[in-house]
Amino acid sequence: MTKTNTCATPDKKTNEEAPCILACPIRQDARDYVQLIARGRFQEAFRLVRERNPLPSACGRICTHPCETKCRRNSTEAPIAIAWLKRFLGDNFSEETRKIIKEKYPERIAVIGTGPAGLAAANDLALLGYSCTIFESNPTPGGMLRMGVPTYRLPRTAIDNDVEYIKKLGVEIKYNTTFGVDITFDSLKKDGFAAVFIGVGLPESRTLNVEGVNLDGVLKGISFLNEVNATGSARIGRNVLVIGGGAVAMDCARTALRLKPDKVSVACLESRKEMPTTDFEIEETVHEGVVLYNSVGPKRILGKNGRVSGLETLRVKYVFDEQKRFSPAFYEGSESVIEADTIILAIGQASNLSFLKGQEGIQVTRGGTIIVNPDTFSTSVHGIYAGGDVVLGRGTMTESMAQGKKTAIAIHNTLRNTALKDEKWAEKPAVPDIVPSRLSLIKKESKQEMPTMPLDERLKTFDEVELGFPLNIAVKEAQRCMNCGAGALVDDNLCVGCLTCVRICPFEVPKIKKGDTTAYIDGDCQSCGLCIVECPAKAISFKTPLEDRGKDALEAVFQEKFVQGVKPFIINFYCQYSAYREEKEGAADDLLFFHFRRIGVLGLGKVDPSLYLRAFELGAHGVLITACKDDTCHFCTEKEWVERRAQYTTQLLNGLGMDTRRFQTHFVSSQNGKEILEIAFRMVEELRNRV
Amino acid sequence: MIVASSKPFPEIKQMLSGFKKVCVLGCGSCVTMCHTGGEKQVTELAAQLRLSAKLEGRQLEVKEDSTLRQCEWEFIDDIKEVIKDCDAVLSIACGVGVQYMAEKFPRIRIFPGVNTTFMGGPVEQGIFWERCAGCGNCILGTTGGLCPVSRCAKSLMNGPCGGSQNGKCEVSQETPCVWHQIYDQLDTQQLLATMERIVPPKDWTTGMENHPRKMVIEHLVMKKQ
Repeated sequence: MTKTNTCATPDKKTNEEAPCILACPIRQDARDYVQLIARGRFQEAFRLVRERNPLPSACGRICTHPCETKCRRNSTEAPIAIAWLKRFLGDNFSEETRKIIKEKYPERIAVIGTGPAGLAAANDLALLGYSCTIFESNPTPGGMLRMGVPTYRLPRTAIDNDVEYIKKLGVEIKYNTTFGVDITFDSLKKDGFAAVFIGVGLPESRTLNVEGVNLDGVLKGISFLNEVNATGSARIGRNVLVIGGGAVAMDCARTALRLKPDKVSVACLESRKEMPTTDFEIEETVHEGVVLYNSVGPKRILGKNGRVSGLETLRVKYVFDEQKRFSPAFYEGSESVIEADTIILAIGQASNLSFLKGQEGIQVTRGGTIIVNPDTFSTSVHGIYAGGDVVLGRGTMTESMAQGKKTAIAIHNTLRNTALKDEKWAEKPAVPDIVPSRLSLIKKESKQEMPTMPLDERLKTFDEVELGFPLNIAVKEAQRCMNCGAGALVDDNLCVGCLTCVRICPFEVPKIKKGDTTAYIDGDCQSCGLCIVECPAKAISFKTPLEDRGKDALEAVFQEKFVQGVKPFIINFYCQYSAYREEKEGAADDLLFFHFRRIGVLGLGKVDPSLYLRAFELGAHGVLITACKDDTCHFCTEKEWVERRAQYTTQLLNGLGMDTRRFQTHFVSSQNGKEILEIAFRMVEELRNRV
Repeated sequence: MIVASSKPFPEIKQMLSGFKKVCVLGCGSCVTMCHTGGEKQVTELAAQLRLSAKLEGRQLEVKEDSTLRQCEWEFIDDIKEVIKDCDAVLSIACGVGVQYMAEKFPRIRIFPGVNTTFMGGPVEQGIFWERCAGCGNCILGTTGGLCPVSRCAKSLMNGPCGGSQNGKCEVSQETPCVWHQIYDQLDTQQLLATMERIVPPKDWTTGMENHPRKMVIEHLVMKKQ
């Protein structure tokens, strides 16, 4: 087609990114791996996750998932379970190292700590071509993931699987090696390391400055968790009180419950809404039987015979002042007592910077965190970098990983004198909220529930509470995704302004704005693909490279030698929205395997009738379309379009004098099982003597 | 726009029989908008041709291309390279485009893939109606903006005739009687008196009676060297 020189009007925002991706500190390709799961392309989905995320199994469990907070499905019913879907991939898929490291550089990099920041830095440095050694003071990897996170939330195999992959990239881990004791900055320099990344985290528990804090029975949160995580038990009394309202406090309380005391409670300054952890965590904690005391502050710890007997509290007036700074105030004379024989302090963590002795050049804050350049993560001493909680103060797992990843690039740029950039971190506008008038046109799809261990069983063990999505549930959940920002795109050079897309879109998305001569499809596009097929100028395509509307799969079928001798050989185009309704995709029957090849497409509205002709041209004896019934259509309106196009295709085939029994369309409630088999049997019989 | 409808495939097949290498050529203007001559149609028609040849065991290579407007020498000039080794071109532009192609490439056989039918537009998605007959002497100003030349079966100047039944034309119950519509329109505009005026016989020499017609815009004509 001869191109004219029209160009996109500036307000056609074709570079908008999905909010889930922008919300993620490591810019995980959330939308795209979810879309791959929706299409049953699990291995590719896992690979995509792994490309940016060195700890997919762990991240899929304990990430605070800001992606879900920003998910645009929040405005229709509930966000996509993005994190649980990642966990599904991490639990069920793996692969040998396949990324080829193109160039190897001579420099060796030392990383201190095998927490999320250190592992991310080492992972990315290894991929960039550097030899990395991580030094870890503990005998096992994971840092706070292993010390702090209870096994019922994060089984250790999940950490080990992720770390194993990083080791396969060539990363060496030296355990039981404490920085500042066994190795020092000087020894690392002497050993020839070109750069050092400090990712030691915040290993210490903050303590309270109140009377009674040294009584017997007062435990520190992190030490308590570490002990239970390592040994499976800890010495606690019958009545345990956890002080703190964050994730660690919830972990301490739920861990204590599993040691079977009579009562576990949590007391925190914050109101239920202000608590600095996810609703889900709080709900699970309460659900398991923990008593929650909100808006109370510790005045002093009471003791009897040198041992804790309770906590005297004051009622909280407010936690944050007008400038939203942490500055709790209490009602005078509001004292009351919560009885307890064990008190666990989970009010925050602190750094241990003893390794900095002799390195006074490295600047630190009053709060005990290391000061770094926010772009390069370089400390004030050349060649020494830092990231993760020891810089953040209190960060999330993904924030730490992001710092590790960014540091890896910064180290590479310094050592090679290059300006390598990770384009994923480029500033982009987010796809805005759904236009309210379109909300009623988008089908509501309820969020899939995470299967969990029954309450009476879970408190008996430290086994994982959340059991993970089975395959069919994972796909169903992924298929709720609206593919924000990756839907249809109009090429201004090809659009003739015929208005077809404007008139046929079931979601009323395409528009020709006043003064424009070409159509514009915004981020509300649901990716049904109807307009792509009907555009007479072929001016519309999907932005996502994941969607080729069945073309590659069809060509691939005829690369198989086997199919050439099969008679009749039939191509079945089916809607993936009604696949996976049961445990496995596709009816497991020899007939289907022998006479049919199945090509799944996420909605048959995006398949061109010319592709059906192409199937015959390539050598198929029959083409079978199995689409969803009206009431189950994800896009609500596709049945009508599938019918019309079936009619249209039949006319085209009639024109060729072809037996129309060779092209059949059926509407089914599921793509597996009896219904499909009967249709398939019938079609084979009908065509057996005709081809 | 110029509206064209696809030719029946057997007719196309017949025209192209005997050729081994053909190019299906679309046009990016009117016929794209009426869904019979755009890129999408090129793909479908080419697929149909290939499949047809395969079913009959014939050798046929089908190329596919499209241009912005086949009724411009400069735009079809780009096609030269694409069709130079083809035995025939199936142009799915309107009759104007097909003739431009035939004139530009006299050594290659050019065949029409569509029937150019009328000047009109999509009254609703997928439904096109004739709206203009190109009579060369427009009277829309006196008929409330509705054309009796193209929309009345008899092209009456003084309608409606006795065949107007409940607003429909006796020729087809699907066709609205345009004189009924003109009456309603003039009523809305409080111009019903216009209906009483007898319109004298129309001068048809400006129209199809007198083709080929020609139009010259003097100030734009370039001097030939």
